[in-house]
This record gives sequence, structure tokens and C-alpha cells, in this order.
Amino acid sequence: MKWNSIRTKVLAALASCLVLGVGGILALLQYSFARNSQALASDSVAGAQKLFQVLEARETSKMAAVSETLMIDPQVRDAFAAKDRSRLLDITAPLYTKLKAEGITNWMFHAPEPDMAVFLRLHNPSKFGDRLNRFMDKEVVRTHAMVTGNELAKAGFAVRILRPFYDSKGKLSGYVEFGEEIGRFIKEMKSQTGDDYGLLLSKKFVDRQFWADSNAVWKRRDNWDDNPSFVVADKTTPSDSIIQFQQELASVPNRGKVLERFKTGDSVFVRGIFPIYDAARNTVGAMFVVRDISAVYESMRKTQNLLVALIIVAMLLSTVLVLTLLNRLVFRRLEHIIDVATRVVGGDYESEIKISSDDEIGQFEHLFEQFRCVFVDLLSHLPEFQNKE
Amino acid sequence: MSALYDLKVRIEDKIKADGLDAVKVRGQIGLRTGRILALITPGTADDPAAVAKLKQAAKDLLNLN
Repeated sequence: MKWNSIRTKVLAALASCLVLGVGGILALLQYSFARNSQALASDSVAGAQKLFQVLEARETSKMAAVSETLMIDPQVRDAFAAKDRSRLLDITAPLYTKLKAEGITNWMFHAPEPDMAVFLRLHNPSKFGDRLNRFMDKEVVRTHAMVTGNELAKAGFAVRILRPFYDSKGKLSGYVEFGEEIGRFIKEMKSQTGDDYGLLLSKKFVDRQFWADSNAVWKRRDNWDDNPSFVVADKTTPSDSIIQFQQELASVPNRGKVLERFKTGDSVFVRGIFPIYDAARNTVGAMFVVRDISAVYESMRKTQNLLVALIIVAMLLSTVLVLTLLNRLVFRRLEHIIDVATRVVGGDYESEIKISSDDEIGQFEHLFEQFRCVFVDLLSHLPEFQNKE
Repeated sequence: MSALYDLKVRIEDKIKADGLDAVKVRGQIGLRTGRILALITPGTADDPAAVAKLKQAAKDLLNLN
């Protein structure tokens, strides 16, 4: 193969087109996949945030309805008004068992202000008399209306309602509180979306000793030191490896944030995170969302392979077609001209150039044939040839 | 006889001896050297540059030293 031949140059140009075409398709698909995975991650974060809010609102409504029903129960009202703890426990304990099955894990009666101490904990009856002094406690005392929100407490991070509780004469007996562990939400969210979730709590709002005690109660590994600024309160996967976040939870924007895409084995995932606020609107935690986009990735890979194969086949066919055309229209005719020119110079003056077309090469053939005639005529007038004759 | 003509005769002999397409080989040599072999006669004046070109062409195409 001659490196300076037109064939080689055309072949090189077509090979470059092939490389550029395949490279372009790969880059385009990669870009498209990056955009799709970003959109999927964004959709996961937005969807998870919306679902979380829906679950929060649903459970808040449920607990509000339970508290309404409780307030019209004369037995409960009288027992609480009389501050008869054991009677109140006897009356409410069967109901607590049923509510617990429905997810309401925390139920407390609080004494009225200024004491505001815990009068009865249905989920831990032996413990009472302590003051929680949380934002919600202060807020319900200030407003004397139902306060809802997420609050960290000894029993964990829960969505809670706290409302005033009145006796039959309309006098404030104290307050009643219901709470549901937010960790429970993520299991429901996973069952609805298929995505994995992790509930993170900022260490700023969690007491180290409280965390150690909670883990001991729930027989969980103490994971305080796993991350610098947060603890993983609950998650839907056995492993913490998918939860990767190095920033402060307070830096997560209100609408959530899409994190990066990552691969584990053959699976491809996208991560995102959205903030969780307590009743005082502090960013006490965040929900980590992980979506498996392996199916999308696999589909993209298949499309990519198909397109690359199609481009290679198309370019090979184009190469064959272009080279065949060049051969027929240019190279073969040029070779004929060279052959005739060589033979004429070699003494075969009868060789003629066949003009096969009136295209550009045909014009050249015509010109060269005229030149040949002039050349032969010129030779015939030379004395060396005349002498021969 | 000139050296140029002598070389031409050797070329013609070689072509004949090798049974080559005489017209084609003569044409190739002519195109390489810029000279028509038929026009080289015993009286053609020697030109060192032309002799060198013809020698080179003979070597390349016929392996003639």
C-alpha cells in the first residue's frame, strides 16, 4: 500500500470518519445517560421528599384523630384530671397496644405548665416525672393549640403531635402527645418506590450518651463514629456503604440535592439527599435516597453497542462503495492512460486512449489522446524514424 | 559508438533475454529517463546525466548493472 496514494488517503479519511462517528455516538450516549441519570436522581429526591411529606401529613392526621377521640372519652379525661396515673395506665394500655401495631410508638401525658413534666409514658410506664423542655413543649404552652412536627427525643426521632387536654369542665388537665418513629417511614417509602433510604441525624442535635443508650435499648451497633457530622438513624439496606455524604446536613438545600452516580458490581446507582426539619425548622436530619438505575444503564449500553455496530457496518459498506466507485471512475481509467502513455513511449504508436465518458477524467482522456496523436505525428517527422522507414 | 547507445543495446538484449513485454519496458524506461530509446542511435552524443539516468532505470527495472 502506497502511503501517498489517493486510495490510502480516502481510506484514512473514511477511517477517521468511522473513529469520529463512533466516538461521537459514544460521547453523545454518555452525555445522554448522564442527563438521564441526573433526571432520575432528581426525580428520586423530589419524589421521596413528596412521599415523605405525604406520609408525615397522613400520620399527623391519624394521631390528631386519635387524640380527638381520646379527649371525648370520659374515663381517660377523668383519670388524667384526677392525676391518677395507675388508672390512666389501666384505661389506655389496651389502646396503646393497638396503636403501636398501627405505628404510634410514643404516647405521653404531660402535666400542665409550669411543671410540664411527663406524667405517663405509655411506651415506658415506669419512667415519668422528667421534663423534656423541647421546642414543642414551649410552643404548646405558648399557643394552647395542637403543635405538630418532628422532634428528637430519648425514644428517637419521631413525627409528633402535642395538644392541650381538658377535663369535663374545660379546665386544662395537661397535654397529650403521640409520636411515630420516622425510621418506620423509610420502610414504607421503599415498599412504594423500590428505592433505598437512609435517615441521617445531625450530631449537633443528638446527645452522644443518648445515642449510645438508644443503641443499647434497640440492640443496634453504636455507629456514632462512622461519619463526622451525622449518625445513620435507620436505613433500608443492611450495609451503610451506599450512604456517602461528607458535608454538613445543614448545607442541604430545601428542595434536596442530587449527589453522584456510582457503581457497585454490575449495578449502577444515583444518590440524592433532602433535609428533614424539626418543629423549630432546624435541619436536624436528612433523608438519603439511592435509586438503582441499572436497567436504564443496561438499556443505554445495549443502544450504544447497537449504534456502534451499525456505524461500523455502515462505514465499512461506505468504504467499499467509495473505493469501488473511485476504482471504476478514476483509478482504472488513470491506469489505462498511464499504460497507453508507457506503450507509446515504448514504441507502440497504435495504442489509443479509449474515451469512456465525458466526465472530468473523460476530458483528461480526450486531452491525452490528442496529445498522443501530436506526439506520434511529431515522432514520424524525426529523421531517425524516417531513416528506419 | 556512444556509451548511451551501448547501454541501449544492452537494455534491448536484456529485454529479449528475459522475454519481457518490450514495448512496456521501453516505455517505462523512457518515462523514467525522459528519453525515447528508439531515438538513441550510434551517433547520439554522450551526456553523463542521461547515461546515469538510463543506468539507474536499467538497474531498477531490469536489474542490469
